[in-house]
Amino acid sequence: MSFKIAILGFGLTGRLTALALSKVHQVSVYEQDDQHAANSAGNVAAAMLAPLAESVLCEQDIALLGLASIQRWQQIISELDEPVYFQQAGSLVVAHQQDKGDLHSFISRLKPLAEHTADTVSSAQIADLEPELAGRFHQGVYLPCEGQLDNQAFYAASYNQLVARQVSFNWHSHITLTGHKVNGQSYDFVFDCRGLGAKTALPSLRGVRGEVARLYAPEVNLSRPVRLMHPRYPIYIAPKPNHQFVIGATEIESHDTGKVTVRSALELLSAAYTVHSGFAEARIESLQSGLRPAFADNRPQVTREGRVISLNGLYRHGYLLAPYVVDEAISLMT
Amino acid sequence: MDSFTLYGEQIRSRLLIGSALYPSPSIMTESIVASGADIVTVSLRRQQSAQAGDDFWQLIKNTGLKVLPNTAGCHSVKEAVTLAQMCREVFATDWIKLELIGDEYNLQPDPFALLEATKILLDEGFKVLPYCTDDLVLCQRLADLGCEVLMPWGAPIGTGKGLLNPYNLRMIRERLPSHTLIVDAGLGLPSHACQALELGYDAVLLNSAIAGAGCPVTMSHAFRSAVEAGRYSYLAKAMPEKDVASPSTPTMGMPFWHQN
Repeated sequence: MSFKIAILGFGLTGRLTALALSKVHQVSVYEQDDQHAANSAGNVAAAMLAPLAESVLCEQDIALLGLASIQRWQQIISELDEPVYFQQAGSLVVAHQQDKGDLHSFISRLKPLAEHTADTVSSAQIADLEPELAGRFHQGVYLPCEGQLDNQAFYAASYNQLVARQVSFNWHSHITLTGHKVNGQSYDFVFDCRGLGAKTALPSLRGVRGEVARLYAPEVNLSRPVRLMHPRYPIYIAPKPNHQFVIGATEIESHDTGKVTVRSALELLSAAYTVHSGFAEARIESLQSGLRPAFADNRPQVTREGRVISLNGLYRHGYLLAPYVVDEAISLMT
Repeated sequence: MDSFTLYGEQIRSRLLIGSALYPSPSIMTESIVASGADIVTVSLRRQQSAQAGDDFWQLIKNTGLKVLPNTAGCHSVKEAVTLAQMCREVFATDWIKLELIGDEYNLQPDPFALLEATKILLDEGFKVLPYCTDDLVLCQRLADLGCEVLMPWGAPIGTGKGLLNPYNLRMIRERLPSHTLIVDAGLGLPSHACQALELGYDAVLLNSAIAGAGCPVTMSHAFRSAVEAGRYSYLAKAMPEKDVASPSTPTMGMPFWHQN
């Protein structure tokens, strides 16, 4: 049976929901911005798939769902007509000698995730994994199960796929949701994927500001995401195709939507420079800020009220949890 | 337990708790409740001014605790004074934990800039709680300026090393007997907090030791108990330490050849 479905918000969860439902249903998307949804957290993010590293800060069930999502992402990307860069070659965590206490603390807090382990690596093993980091770090941790994808390529490919499926789009839309009516139009189901745009309906939602730098660094060759442990400026460097690198991310309890501050830019870029001096000559493609939608327990919520299904609060685990959260939301249609 | 005085206000709990670095706001709230604290410290970043940080402040306000804003992350007198003025407006309090970093790496307070900023803020009517090193002369100078509360460190922020120099801390306590003294920063274990209270310190202020623990809420309980133990121990006046063992059971009736 084919339903008439409205999807509110065209960020990460909106796109995934639309991709899944447009195979059999008649889908209309409402977005306050345009098809790029440039300010959505999913566009700004580095799109790391790092369940083991994140297990240091989140509950184990969240990390396990993240682990399962990695396989789901491979499937989602394989169904797109356009190629989207996806990688599962592990990630490397390093610390400078004076910060080895932070690295040890990180190792001690990793939670067990099925058979997946974190391997402590020596200076020589770091050099084997990432030759350009040879001699820079004495100790690190290799997390083989982790991966990443090119989120901006996914944003473009998912939009084109949905255009091909004749999904209807309503850009620059001021959304009024009354029961199962969107802007006066009636639907069988409404999926509210607006993130912080749904704050009026979900008052306990809060924004957690994040800032990232996107660089073009032809002199840097890193083949997998690298995290730097630091007492104040822990960063990750996510290499994307064509020497593009995403350096992230700050985490500030604020829903300030202003541009990246000089302090944050200095922190991110100088920390990246200490990992690889080749970043000195990198070109800054963009400095972006975004808001991660989060509930007080930093866990996602999927709820249904009448014919409105709401999925929100993915916090810093957007790419890690979105496939699971979207599956969960769609299962509420029955 | 008896209370202590903080710029004329009676404070019951001798544990002041921070609001950063928790795994989630829910765990922060639970930890704060479990600590029994009356005062919670918060740091204001520029991006959190005006309405931008409202959601987070609402969580803090919901705890019902008194808020002690701090100037964490400031490196110059001007920055610290500006941030203190913003804090006064945002949190509607004259209290300010004045934190002025001198060394970027170990976050050691800058004693010289601290004195300068303290004077400016006291003149502007702030009730300044300066975060300082455990240097007696610095503490005396801060007291001379009019600080009623001093907050020497136990160890550098976030190190969890405990009281690195108990001698210095004891000396400050002895020489400034009527000032409220709070050990701020560097504590890792409840026993460190207990030790500070046993030295006669009025309270401890900590954040990472609870927020960074495997189970912050349980650790918060532990610190609450440790602070009470330390205070009772101080009030009870510990027995004098001796080099030679003395029996706690009477020796009368024991054969004389067993008494040597």
